[in-house]
Amino acid sequence: MAVSTADHAVVADPGAALAAARARRAAGRVLVTLARSVAIFVPVFLVATFLTFALRAISGLSPASIQLGESATPDAVARIEQQWGLDRPFLAQYWSWFTDILHGQLGASWSNGTNIAELISNGLAISLSVVTLALIIGVVFGFGLGTLAAVRRTTWIDRTITGFLTIFSVMPPFVVGIVLVTVFAVGLGWLPAAGYVPASVGTWPWFTHILLPALALSLDPMADVARQLRSGLIASYQENYVTGAIVRGLSPRRIFFRHVLRNGVGPALSVLGWRFPTLIGGSVVTEWIFGLQGFGRFANDSAQAGDVPAVQGVLVVSIVLVVTFNLIVNIVLGRVTPASQRGV
Amino acid sequence: MVRRVLALPAGRLAVGILSVIVLLAILGPTLAPHDPLGTSALTLAGPSWEHWLGTDYLGRDVFSRLLAGSRTSVLGSVEVALIALVVGVVPGILSVYFGQVFEWFTLRIADTLIALPFLIYAVAVTALLGNGIPQAMFTVGVLVSPLFYRVARASTLAVARSQYVEAALISGASIGWIARRHVWGKVLPPVAVALAQTIGIGFVVVSSLSFLGIGVQPPAPTWGGLLASDLGYLSYQPWAPAVPALLIMATVWGSNLLADAIRDVSGEAGRALLNSRRVRARRLDPAEPIPAGGVAP
Repeated sequence: MAVSTADHAVVADPGAALAAARARRAAGRVLVTLARSVAIFVPVFLVATFLTFALRAISGLSPASIQLGESATPDAVARIEQQWGLDRPFLAQYWSWFTDILHGQLGASWSNGTNIAELISNGLAISLSVVTLALIIGVVFGFGLGTLAAVRRTTWIDRTITGFLTIFSVMPPFVVGIVLVTVFAVGLGWLPAAGYVPASVGTWPWFTHILLPALALSLDPMADVARQLRSGLIASYQENYVTGAIVRGLSPRRIFFRHVLRNGVGPALSVLGWRFPTLIGGSVVTEWIFGLQGFGRFANDSAQAGDVPAVQGVLVVSIVLVVTFNLIVNIVLGRVTPASQRGV
Repeated sequence: MVRRVLALPAGRLAVGILSVIVLLAILGPTLAPHDPLGTSALTLAGPSWEHWLGTDYLGRDVFSRLLAGSRTSVLGSVEVALIALVVGVVPGILSVYFGQVFEWFTLRIADTLIALPFLIYAVAVTALLGNGIPQAMFTVGVLVSPLFYRVARASTLAVARSQYVEAALISGASIGWIARRHVWGKVLPPVAVALAQTIGIGFVVVSSLSFLGIGVQPPAPTWGGLLASDLGYLSYQPWAPAVPALLIMATVWGSNLLADAIRDVSGEAGRALLNSRRVRARRLDPAEPIPAGGVAP
């Protein structure tokens, strides 16, 4: 500190200049993180959309079979395929589809011609409220349990928590969902078993309807976050700088927040990024169990109906969600644990 | 390695659970006391001597359906793991040797497959490709393959760039000898860990798909399908989902335990662990890291 004030002796208020410089450096670091993450995710997005678009060609499905049935004449089939632009070369089709996506247009459904973006945005509100609540539950309880287990390591508290986390991690979301319905909806009658109420009707009814599906989805990320956090924290408790901090007489609270948590939280955060696709995917099953008309349900229904553009729309939206979430995780990771930026 | 896995209590437990499940899959369909598809007038009955786990909404014997469905469920997850093994390991090893273009492309594809929301893709692709078991297994297998790709690539990289391999080459060792002596032993344990993990993951995905009615034709019994049909009648039989759910959980737990056990005993760390176990009656080391459940680097 003394050195830096001496360097900036010309500046009238060295404290403010220092803060400004620090803020500028922090902003620059966020930008660098963002650029590096975008460089990873752009190819991911390109390959994923290409795979998604290739689904139609691989499946060999055509709007004609949905609209005309099995007994269509080849002429009628050709006419309909031309109407949908399916007679053009594959790459030309991909290009126009891809530019449409970049403009937010997902095309029209084969079965009834409605705008897919509209259909998906109806379901997305439901799915996102469930997934967000699941993430909040998973992160809060995962951090709580992981921290508790790490602070009270090798005691019975640690062993109990680890045991429960093992059970949680082997329960697939649909098993959890069924157990929750049996206990809380059918057995105790506390919460509704199925259905959805928009938040505009009332916050409490909305919350009770999404609580069980969110709980069903949250156990998996909860177990993962808690286990990663526990081992991360235990590993950083053994570092020399923690011993040094104890010797210097810092309070346990300060050691935990300043030294241990910041360095031990990295794996837990990145596992959250990995887990997000699973969470989105799990919504297919939970929405089926709890009778929610979310976008996972929409994916399932349109896939079974052979409505390829609708399926492609859902897949593109889910890719965008995953990529966005991972960008956020990367930025948070870069802010919290700067060491992860240097590839340490 | 098998003997070392069996030396651990967790390893014995895992092997025990998995062999019971495999026995169920092999013998289950022939052991079933009733026709798993045969309906009767006795619907939604409770457990009795005649029907050990009661009957479902069409009067079919649940115990027989459970036994008959075990083969599809277990075979499915093994198939998924084997497909993922082939699709992942081969490019993983080749990516070290085939030059940068191949490496770049396979890395990007692996990144993409990891980022895809797994279950939605499995549902979509399986349904669009014609809703059969082979399609479902293939799709899921390709979607889990990045795990094998990364594991195989990482261990091959470690071996290929190591000095003892260079030293062996300089002293005139043949490629085949190096592969047998060094590469095999280094690549095999991580791949075995990934295989055990993938069987667990594949099992969850296959049961999720069959729960949704994807990849199976309706009357055919599967564990996931049993749960799905129980769901509609929970107010009559709230206990019905317990047995299939416990079986699914036990299988996943068994494969996770096996993965952890293989990881614990492989390599130098594993030998040290076994020795320390022999020396010390109980473990005193406070900070044994919990193996990560998700992706093994």
